[in-house]
Amino acid sequence: MDRQPHDLRLLVNSDPRLLGVIRGVLQVWLEILGLEADRRSEVVLAVDEACSNCIRHAYEGRTDERVELVLSLAEDWIEITVSDQGAPCPTECTEFQPMERPAAHEVVPGGLGVKLIYEVFDEVVFCPGRSGGNCVTMRLNRQMS
Amino acid sequence: MKIETDKSADEVLVTIEGDIDLYSSPELRKVVLAAVKKATAGVGVHLGAVSYMDSSGVATLVEGLRSAKENDRSFTLIAPSHAVMKVLELARLDSIFEVRSI
Repeated sequence: MDRQPHDLRLLVNSDPRLLGVIRGVLQVWLEILGLEADRRSEVVLAVDEACSNCIRHAYEGRTDERVELVLSLAEDWIEITVSDQGAPCPTECTEFQPMERPAAHEVVPGGLGVKLIYEVFDEVVFCPGRSGGNCVTMRLNRQMS
Repeated sequence: MKIETDKSADEVLVTIEGDIDLYSSPELRKVVLAAVKKATAGVGVHLGAVSYMDSSGVATLVEGLRSAKENDRSFTLIAPSHAVMKVLELARLDSIFEVRSI
């Protein structure tokens, strides 16, 4: 794959303290791409959720593993891939579920992160990672935002 | 993230400043659940200075709300920031909470 000028690759320890660093890098990158403020916040949130899931679920809270992010721009598509080398995620956890409006007593714990990813991005693909683990590719069309 | 707890006659007020994410939400959870235990009438969670909140923060607030209801206490979000309202709206959970502006 040819590297484009806007592409960025981050390899980050699976330490929750570093999520703020990832968010900071992402904010600036999205600003450079000219994405407007509300959309930027949504993308930052969804990517944070993907990274949090790697730490919490794939790595079961271990902080000495690696989360990889690839941020790229191809024409009008912003594409962000988050991958890990941890325990494979069961498919029922990553299947699309529409966001519903529950009553307070109906709120189900868990799964909100994945729902937010589907809510924010135009295209979402969960697949096994290149060398084991998990991978999610999230795409947003700048024109449609 | 900074958290302060103040107890008055009417409510236990938890004031939060900064980012609520996977790193900071466990501490928030402890404080919120302790506030519910301590409260005689209700708990107020001031979120005006929260710059960021993710689903772990949402889950913590939902848990606080549930715990308060089980103990017959009120649970109110106070002056939630734009960031907080945004994630609650995205998650379709904005209407399950009592909200006040001060």
